[in-house]
Amino acid sequence: MNLELFLFYAFAALAIGSSLLVVSLKNPARALFLFFITLFAMAGLFLFALADFVAITQIMVYVGGVLILMIFAFMLSNKELLADIQHISGSFLSLPSWQSILLALGFFAVFILGIREWNNDMPEWMLSNIQEGMVITPHDNNIQQLGIKFMTQYVLPFEVISIFLLMALIGAAHLSRKEESQ
Amino acid sequence: MGGILLYILITAVLFGFIALFALFAVYAERKIAGFVQDRLGPMETGRYGLLQTFADILKLLQKELINPSAADKILFAIAPVIIFGAVFIGYSVVPWAPGFVPANTHTGLFFIMAVVSIDALGILMAGWGSNNKYSLLGSIRAIAQMVSYEIPVGLSLIAAVMITQTLNLNEIAINQGVLSTENLLFLGFWDVSDIGGILAWNIFQAPHLIVVYVIFFIATLAECNRAPFDIPEAESELIGGFHTEYGGVRFAFVFLAEYAMMFLVAMLGVVIFLGGWNTPLPNIGSLRLADWTTGLFWGLFWTLSKSLLIVGIQMWIRWTLPRFRADQLMNLCWKIMIPAAFICMAISGLWRILIMN
Repeated sequence: MNLELFLFYAFAALAIGSSLLVVSLKNPARALFLFFITLFAMAGLFLFALADFVAITQIMVYVGGVLILMIFAFMLSNKELLADIQHISGSFLSLPSWQSILLALGFFAVFILGIREWNNDMPEWMLSNIQEGMVITPHDNNIQQLGIKFMTQYVLPFEVISIFLLMALIGAAHLSRKEESQ
Repeated sequence: MGGILLYILITAVLFGFIALFALFAVYAERKIAGFVQDRLGPMETGRYGLLQTFADILKLLQKELINPSAADKILFAIAPVIIFGAVFIGYSVVPWAPGFVPANTHTGLFFIMAVVSIDALGILMAGWGSNNKYSLLGSIRAIAQMVSYEIPVGLSLIAAVMITQTLNLNEIAINQGVLSTENLLFLGFWDVSDIGGILAWNIFQAPHLIVVYVIFFIATLAECNRAPFDIPEAESELIGGFHTEYGGVRFAFVFLAEYAMMFLVAMLGVVIFLGGWNTPLPNIGSLRLADWTTGLFWGLFWTLSKSLLIVGIQMWIRWTLPRFRADQLMNLCWKIMIPAAFICMAISGLWRILIMN
């Protein structure tokens, strides 16, 4: 077993194990901090998909931003409310859980089916690209490609997202400003 | 297997360097503080007090690890490791000399920005895990400050990257000296590709980057939680901020992380704005000063001396300026530095399109 494969399975195990712990831990503070491990392991898995930009963005946005906001929200929330949450989780197969188990099994089946179908007949263009050697290697610089694609082919989604973020920003500023007393 | 051993060796050498740097930086800080405040600083241990920090670290290593009884033991124990680890990972992509960079990746700059933001999580973990009002207040202040000041840091780096056209720190360093493969223009009109030296540094290739560097320097000072931005540690109000409850080796790691962060941001600023490992001496006719002073050991020398100079300025500022109030801190960030960084970003775009082409 080479190092890459070992690291891949280590990251995968870390992601699955830590996310299982996140949903099963009784202590919400620890669960939130453990979520960091999940996000970090996911970033590692993105690296193995040769998407280093996505991996770093994941750490920057989720760990540096979203996770810290979540922890702040947790700290500012009501203690009684949190106590309620701690009482809810009962046995594994209680009534509120069975739908989710069904849903999870359904998704799992879809994944298995997808992987099997994919292995049987890969799309034509992919096979031809692999034969011609038109594939991304770990040493390629795809940052420039990403920038060009963002500014040409995907410019509309890119702009829509930025307008959306601007709206969120203006909304936050509006909510938090002081009302003028009349 | 040889490759893996090499990686481990490089990591160990980097750690050794950081530990040694922190020891001398603490000594230098005390001496500078002494000089600024017109006193002598440490004088008792060793000649001129040179062994003072070694004595301190010996004391810290021997101390018992004390867990506060109400603390969240796991979070409390892991936090210093995460705080230090986040900063330490950042060192993996910074170039030291020509051909001497631990990891040469295309996303180096972005990577540093991302891993340094993990530092905030570690501080929050320390503050929460200690289960102490002062620690929690200190860590909340630290997070508010770090999250706010990440924006001017990011904007100033974007302004610089628009000029360099790459996120690879190694290439950024190469494109500021005689080893460059591109045409370097001093102030946008004079080709200095063969002359090199100080004229080819990024701040002179596009002069508005001097302003950007000042923004970067101030904002990174706040990211390190150094004075005048040290309200998270405000001794007079919060005892010691998020590391109030720490002692022994754990406290040593928190402290090591602070000094490692100082050196990391100093080095990052040097690589992006001040020529990295390139020499400040230009080629003058047949006097090939730049060619003579470029190489592996010269590169190490220039990187170290420039970065240590910047660290020295950080210390000088710490002992000269009084501490900011929280509202002044946020005003400075949101009303002055972010708009200024945005203007510089716009100038960078225009400079790239109109002058550098």
